[in-house]
Formats: sequence, structure tokens, C-alpha cells
Amino acid sequence: MKHIIEILKEFPEVCNYKISQVQTSSYETFFVHKQLETVRATDTTDTSVTVYVLHDGKMGDSVFSVYASTTESELRAKIALAVEKAQLVNNQPYDLPAGETLCEQIPSNIGEMEPKELAKEIARACFDANDHPNGSLNALEIFVNKVRVHIVNGNGLDKCEQKYNCMVEAIPTWTDGESVELYECYNFSTFSYDDVKAEIAGKMQEVRDRYYATKPQINPNCTVVLNAPEIASLLWEITGELGYVSVYSHSNAYKKGDNLQDGDCDKLTVTMCGKIEGSHRNSLFDGDGVTLQDTVVIQDGVTVNYYGSNRFGQYLGEKVTGMLPCMQVSAGSVTESDLQKEPYFECVSMSGLQVDIYNDYIGGEVRLAYYFDGTKKVALTGISISGKLSEALATLRLTDKIVTSNSYRGPHRALFDKIAVI
Amino acid sequence: MHFSSYLDSKRGEIKELIKELSKSFSYVSVLATDVKASLVNANRRTSSMSEGSASECGFVVKLNNGRGFYEYSTDDISGDKATLAQKIANSVAISQSLCDDQITANDIADEPLVQSFERPCDFDNYSPKQLIAFCEDIKDQLLAKDENIVNAICGLNYFTISKLFISKNKELDQFYSWINATAMVVYRNGEKMVMAREGSYSNLMSEALAELPKLLDKLVHKANRLSHAKPIVPGVYDCITDPSITGLIAHEAFGHGVEMDQFVKDRALAKQYVGKYVASPICNMHDGAAAAFSTASYFFDDDGVLAQDTQIIKDGILVNGISDLTSASELGTAPTGNGRRQSYKRKAYSRMTNTFFEAGTDKLEDMIASIKHGYMLFETDNGMEDPKNWQIQCTAQYGIEIVDGKLTDNYVAPVVMSGYVPDLLKSISMISDQFKVIGSGSCGKGYKEWVRVSDGGPALKVKVKLA
Repeated sequence: MKHIIEILKEFPEVCNYKISQVQTSSYETFFVHKQLETVRATDTTDTSVTVYVLHDGKMGDSVFSVYASTTESELRAKIALAVEKAQLVNNQPYDLPAGETLCEQIPSNIGEMEPKELAKEIARACFDANDHPNGSLNALEIFVNKVRVHIVNGNGLDKCEQKYNCMVEAIPTWTDGESVELYECYNFSTFSYDDVKAEIAGKMQEVRDRYYATKPQINPNCTVVLNAPEIASLLWEITGELGYVSVYSHSNAYKKGDNLQDGDCDKLTVTMCGKIEGSHRNSLFDGDGVTLQDTVVIQDGVTVNYYGSNRFGQYLGEKVTGMLPCMQVSAGSVTESDLQKEPYFECVSMSGLQVDIYNDYIGGEVRLAYYFDGTKKVALTGISISGKLSEALATLRLTDKIVTSNSYRGPHRALFDKIAVI
Repeated sequence: MHFSSYLDSKRGEIKELIKELSKSFSYVSVLATDVKASLVNANRRTSSMSEGSASECGFVVKLNNGRGFYEYSTDDISGDKATLAQKIANSVAISQSLCDDQITANDIADEPLVQSFERPCDFDNYSPKQLIAFCEDIKDQLLAKDENIVNAICGLNYFTISKLFISKNKELDQFYSWINATAMVVYRNGEKMVMAREGSYSNLMSEALAELPKLLDKLVHKANRLSHAKPIVPGVYDCITDPSITGLIAHEAFGHGVEMDQFVKDRALAKQYVGKYVASPICNMHDGAAAAFSTASYFFDDDGVLAQDTQIIKDGILVNGISDLTSASELGTAPTGNGRRQSYKRKAYSRMTNTFFEAGTDKLEDMIASIKHGYMLFETDNGMEDPKNWQIQCTAQYGIEIVDGKLTDNYVAPVVMSGYVPDLLKSISMISDQFKVIGSGSCGKGYKEWVRVSDGGPALKVKVKLA
């Protein structure tokens, strides 16, 4: 980095700069059934440089990459080209974050083990999760990543953080003559054999249920329940509309003060966060080096704040929160025992929840659902859900049980009326 | 613009490294990549000109010894090659207890072949000043067309790809380019806001930049109509798919299911259907980097296998799958040139390239006229595969209602198609004589491993559940 900074200083047009370096080392194993097919290791460094140029009362910037192979003369040529481009970009000036220094490691036990031994332990937990001859993991991919992020800029900012994370992609399968599968992607930043085993075992149970699931003769007409991954998907769509970039470009569907839930229901309170318990996406700062500031964006069902990057925060005259990678949602009123009091249709596995805020739509294909008719629960498949998002949100009820799902921490389940099962 | 001089300069070092690694492994190859991606963008309030995130420069080493495969990705192969070879071997070493649980691979064909491939590229003819001016002009033109446009965006996403593949017997290099030019508007009609986009694409900047301005009136008209779109009444309908939706069906319904790494894992029902009817007898489907010309048209894949045109469905019968080197080795088949990586940092999988249905003989107007009540579906939004269970979900940007054999002005959006793949494919009753491959998309495997793909075909008449 020092070498790049020295050469950047040779260019008087450059009023400021940012250098972002991401060093990644990974150990990856790929299983076909229970046999190891491929082992991969990576050792890479990605360095990107942003130059900022003030011209004609405007500010332009341009980004380029520097590789291990980049020679000094190539670096000068890249800077010169970036300066030329930045001089053609006419944006409103803004200040880069200044002065802060930090060097921390996000807490994790992953670095305590040799990657190949940890990968083996993760594989063991996954395969141990299946205890039935009809069950199997037909594919399993394990990624053990160590990532060091280092950001400096011309205002004296110098921050680095080291993080570890693991990802498991597993294909739980149930075969009894015919065969069905589900898809599982599980991320974590702290390894626990028991947690991994429990996560995969849960999916094994679901895939067994999918095998025996039937297409209903008559589609249920009842409350539709979404689980944490789908709640997260829905809320990321909604909070995306509250990002500074959307607001500044006038493409935001929601504005501050909008009531998202005009009905008698559990009101959403959503906080965008830098860190939540158990998430692999936890960070201390964003890509500009801005210290992340937790921000409540929806309070009691009403949008109350926007959030986002240094640049667009300044453009809008808003507090700079940084690009917040996680989300925390307040608990609701529904207990597990409440759930047993009325019929519901729980979407357990979906092809992908489809949310179109502009067209006020929520829906999608459901690969596995549980229908509880008030007395017993049966597994269903081959169905879809569809509804108007605004009407569904106005009927929302949230459970009191809190879980973490990737970058989401909040209610385990969300209950909606006015979503049709079709 | 031509093949990377940096990669050219590394041939000797790569061969040295292969020589060292060959002391311990029976198969050794190195893929070196130098991708230069750029983005130019102008909207109502900001603009930008930068390198794109797809830029990369690095190496991936692939090794085999008759059992499992090993790969090592690095951005630096400088220095003593014996030391590097040892570092690579140490990095991919496996826990002792897993040694007996590796797959057994068949011999890997490494036929002698030395060849260079290059496609014309005119990117050097355009200065940064010309490109940002183009984007600003498109943006201004759009904003002037309709006062309901609250933002207009023009973006150019272009890249050159240099790849060098060397093994004991092969030395291949390729250079090609691609540009996607996009115009988009955010359109507000009262309380309702919509987004709409149009795009042009080519290996030549001149062609993409010439085409995009011709699409602006169509874009604004579409945005206006979408702002009046209503939700669809869920149900099963007779539908006509435009080439984009036809391609989405080909891709999601069957393309993922014939990726043969899924055969190895028993993840694809298609494995049991080779030689059997899986679609209407009037259906023919292909995939291959050499099967059409698009963003996914390369000369050799990331395993050093030459691009091919693979017929997947012939007259309704499943005849072939598509494979990468690893899965072909496991299955004992010949690889089809479909081994693709998201980047040099990622594993190669069996991946689609250009996936499409062949044209038929029907006239589009006859197809529309044959429908009493249904929809014509337009423009891919997203889709999700389920190759094991043949469920499908494909989302179209919008549909237009057909009543008594005529297209109306009634737009519906969004439109989510779902159902069982064989039901959908066997419901194909008419295929148009028009044909188009949309050359600008990207696709993940599961929820990761993004690669550039195209898909398309003719218009199809199908019966499908819409919501």
C-alpha cells in the first residue's frame, strides 16, 4: 500500500484516494455423496484504488485494481487513466471519512483449528446429521474462509479487520424408490459441531417430509406463515427502498413517515446493524472505512430513517450510518402455543420468495409446506402463494421467539392473512 | 485490443510450474486469466467511470492423481517453482482420515493441441470522454421524452477476456470481448412507480452503441404501460412466451437439470430420462458456447476443452447432457466444453452457455389467434431450478392479456410461472418460426457461482400456472 500511495502523490490532480485491500485464504472441500471429489485452496489479494479529483466545482472519482503482477509503470498508467475518467465525472463534492484508525479481529473460534481439520469436522457434523438409510447428503460443499480487510485513505483513515467464516452448501436427499432433495446454505462465524449437526438434521427431517408431501386436492384458505429466511428476504427488499442511494436517485418506493402497516397487527420495528449475534456478515466498518452506526429504519410499522454510505448520506444531509450489513427485528406477540390455536399454512422451503414492491406483490412457489388444520399437521408440495404486499403487511403477526438467519436476527415466524395459497 | 501481454509473458513460468507439479501428479493444468472490465454510468444526479468488479488477473492450478481433484487459486506464481509446487501441495493436503474416502476418476484425456483464438474488438476506438458523453446523451434523451420519468439511467458494462490454458499436452489462448449497454427509467404515474429497461449487446462497441438509441421510444412506452399494470388473477392459462421467457424456461426447466455434475451427485432426474421423451415431440433444445453467439460464446472452457454445440433435446427426446472435465471424468464420458468458473478463485462446474429451443414453423400471429383467453409473457426477471424434482419457478417482468385471439392493451405485472417441468414442456403445442438468443444474462448455480449466459429461442405456446 505504501508504494501505491507514494506513486499516487506524484499526481497533483488527485485530491484524495482510498485503497482497499482484501486478503483471502480459503480451504474448500467438495463431496459427492460421502466421497471427497475436490479439495481447493485459495491465496489471493484484491487491491482496489479509488482516486478523487476536484474539477470545476465538481468531484469525480474512478476505481481501478492493482494486482501482484502490476508493474510500477502500469500502476502510473492506471492512475493516469483513472484521473482522466474522474475528470469526466461531475458529481457533487463530499468529504471522505477522516483520521480514524482501527485494527481488530471479529471474535471467532474458526482460526483456532487448522483449516483442513476444521473442514473435516464440519463434514463429520453434516454426515452425522443423517441417521436413516433413506436419507443422504448427495452433495456437500464446505468453505473455510479467513478474510483480512484493510482500508486507508488520504485523510488518515487506516482500518483493518480480520474475520473468519464458514459456509456449508448441502443437498439433503430422501430416497425410497423415488427421490427428492432440498437445498441448504448455512453460514456461520463460530463453529459448533452440535449446531452444524442440528441445522443439517433439521433439513433432513424437512426433506423426508417433502418426500411424503402431497399436492392438496383443495388449497387451504388460512393464515400463511413465513420462516426467518423468507422474512429476511422480504425485509431486505423493503429496507432496500430506504437506502440513501435509492432516495437520492428518486427510485425509492417508500419515504420517511410512510405507514407500512395500516391495520390491527404486530408493528414492525427494524434496525439496520453492523453486528448481530451469530452472523457471518458482522463488520466494524464499511467499504469506505466508515464506522457502522446501528439505525432504526422502521419503528412501529412506520418508516423513520434512511441509511447508507458516506457519500450519499452527505448528499442528503443525513447522518452517515455506513452500509449496514445486518438487520435486527423486534419480537412479536405470537407464542408457539398460540400457533396451535388456528389453522395455518407454513412455507418451509420456497424456490425463492418473490417480492415486487413497485407492483405491490408477494408470492412464490412453495416446495414444502406444512398445513395445520387445527388438529394435525400434514406436508404439502406443488403449490404457490400470491398476494398484495400492502394488504399482507397490514395483517402481520410475529412470533416472540427470536432466531438468527444469516444477516437477520428477529422473529422466527411471520403470520400473514390475505395471502392466497394457489 | 489483443491477448494479454502479461499472460503471454507467463507461459514459461507456467510450464515450469507444471513440470514441477508433474513429479507428484499425473494430471496438471494451469488456467491463467486476465479480465479487464469497465463500467460507465450516468443517471439524473450522478455519473461514474470505473473498472468493473469482474476484473481479475490470476491463476488456478488443477491436479489429479486418479482419485480426487485438487485446485489452487493464486494471483502470484513468481519465484522458485519447486517451492511454489510444494506450497500448493501443502495447501491442498487433506486430513489423513479422508484419504480413503476420495472418488476414483477415470483417465483424463489431454490430447495434444496448440491453438490461439481471437475475436475482433473495437473498444480502443472509444475514449472515456466519448463513452460518458454517450451515456449522458441517452439519459438526457430519456428525461426529455416524458415528464413522468423521475430518473433515467444509461450504463455500459464492457470487458475483455484473455485466458491461457496450459497442460502437459495443450497450450490454448483466447481473447474476446463483450459489451452490454443498458437504458433504464424509473417512471412514476400518480402513486405507482415502475422500472423498465432495454438493452443492446455485442462483441463490438460500435454495434451496441448504435442499437441502444433505437430502443428508447419502446422503453418509455413500456414504462408507461407498466405503470398501468394490474396484478394477474392466479390460474392456469394458455400463454405465448417471448424469446426471453422461452429461454428462461429452457434454462431453468431443463438446462440446470442436464448439467452433468448433477448426474454424478444423483441430483438430476434427467439422468434417468436420457433416451426418453421429456418434452413435446416438436421440441429441440441446444446448449453450447459454439451453438450461438453471445456473452457466453468462448473458444475453450475453463478446463481447456473446445467449445461445442450440444443438442440436449431432439424431437422431444433427451439425448445429451453438458459436462465439465471433472464430472465427465467421473462419468467416463467426454467433456462437452461446459466447465466454467465464476473467476479464477472459484471451482469449475458444469454450466450452461447459450441455451435455447430451436425455431419451429408456426407464425406468431397464428399462435396468438389460437388463444381464447390467456397471456403473452415478456422479459425475464428471475428463475429458480429444481433439477431433482422438476419443479419450476420463472418470473416474467410482465404479461399482456390475450382475448379472443388478439393482444389487448391490458398489462399484468409481475407474473410468476410455476409448475412441474414435464407438464410444462409437454404442453408446448406451437413453436414460432422467429428465433432470438438474448445475449446478456448471468446465472448462478444454487445461489452462487455466477457466470455469463444467454438463452432464448422462438415463441412457444404453453399451458402454465400463473400467479
